[in-house]
Amino acid sequence: MAYTADANKKFQKELNSGSASLVLLSILAQADEPMYGYRIAKLMEVDDESVPMMKQGALYPVLRSLESSGLLESHVDPSVSGPPRRYYKITKAGLATLKSWTRIWSQTKAFVDGILKGKTDV
Amino acid sequence: MCKDVNEYLVKLKKELAGCDPALIQDALSDAEGHLRMALDEALLGKPSLSKPEAIASIIGKYGHPEEIASAYRAIESRTSPALAVSREKETGSSWARFFGVLAEPRAWGAFFYMLLSLVTGVVFGGWALFAGIISVISLVFIIGIPIVGLFLLSIRGIVFLEGRIVEALLGIRMPSRPLFLDQNLSLKGKFMALVKESFTWKSLLYTALQFPLGLIYSFGIFLLFALSLSFIGSPVLELLFHLPLELFGPEAFTPVWFLPFVCIAGFFLLPLTFHLARWVGKVHGKYAKSMLVRT
Repeated sequence: MAYTADANKKFQKELNSGSASLVLLSILAQADEPMYGYRIAKLMEVDDESVPMMKQGALYPVLRSLESSGLLESHVDPSVSGPPRRYYKITKAGLATLKSWTRIWSQTKAFVDGILKGKTDV
Repeated sequence: MCKDVNEYLVKLKKELAGCDPALIQDALSDAEGHLRMALDEALLGKPSLSKPEAIASIIGKYGHPEEIASAYRAIESRTSPALAVSREKETGSSWARFFGVLAEPRAWGAFFYMLLSLVTGVVFGGWALFAGIISVISLVFIIGIPIVGLFLLSIRGIVFLEGRIVEALLGIRMPSRPLFLDQNLSLKGKFMALVKESFTWKSLLYTALQFPLGLIYSFGIFLLFALSLSFIGSPVLELLFHLPLELFGPEAFTPVWFLPFVCIAGFFLLPLTFHLARWVGKVHGKYAKSMLVRT
């Protein structure tokens, strides 16, 4: 049982490491205004309460990584209610990357779904 | 299980031991900002909730220190410093390496950093020196303490900006999140936290020293760059435009037989200038990191 739980955790982690960037780019592409990490984390929490895709704390290094790749840009603004916040916004390169990653995701999903469907049919 | 945010931060710092200090500072800033915001929101939204219950639920969602440390380590290992110029492998003959520096983004980054330090040195260093003196004098009056507090906060803002410039041009990983003071502290507590922290004084010293350093860097590199270009262009300048290099005295033209040697010297001086810039950039980057990253 413990092995299954560990294997599930590992599988989830491997899936997340690839899809987290796609999810974050997509959220920021749909946002009307720049968003800060906590707000993005809350949005993901609302979107999928049953299966947390990833720990909220793991979003921050992904955001930094996307920014250093030029897919996001950010600025720091003071906040009246707390510490200064770093606001992220998707760049033109980020939108183009999101488009091509979405295509890859759809192809991968269709392929995996096909295989899984085939197996259950057997 | 962590009882409060501070305990979480201590554990996270321990889990990140051995990582780049700038990464540790970023991870701690991210966690502190997120957890405090989540805690305030949880306690406001559900006043019946006890603080330990709220903390446990928030940490469950945010991730335990070991999980978060591992996420930062994994991503950092494949992320280069933001906007940093790439590191080239030094290959080829010694001649190729000597002249190849001119095509190296890292050397150009350091070159521009040294030129830019005229502006940053005068503005940042000037502010540190003159506003520092004014705020010390103001301590005689009752309004002195808030003025000193605001001045020290401004220095934190300046070193954050300087850190971003250092990372962009010198390729050294610097904090990407600004430091902040615990919002739960009183004004007096915030002031004391600012004054007691060695980071504040190291930042102030760094900013003040940027004034003379900026002048030395910018004038030094500009002089060498201008000399190199004028040496290279000496035959054209002297023979075509009749502009003397004045190597042999005021308004003296260089003997024609000597001009090819001056021109060749220029072709060597230019890469030497860029080697010097790259070396200064490397040393300054290490110095900036030791002064501007909270450990």
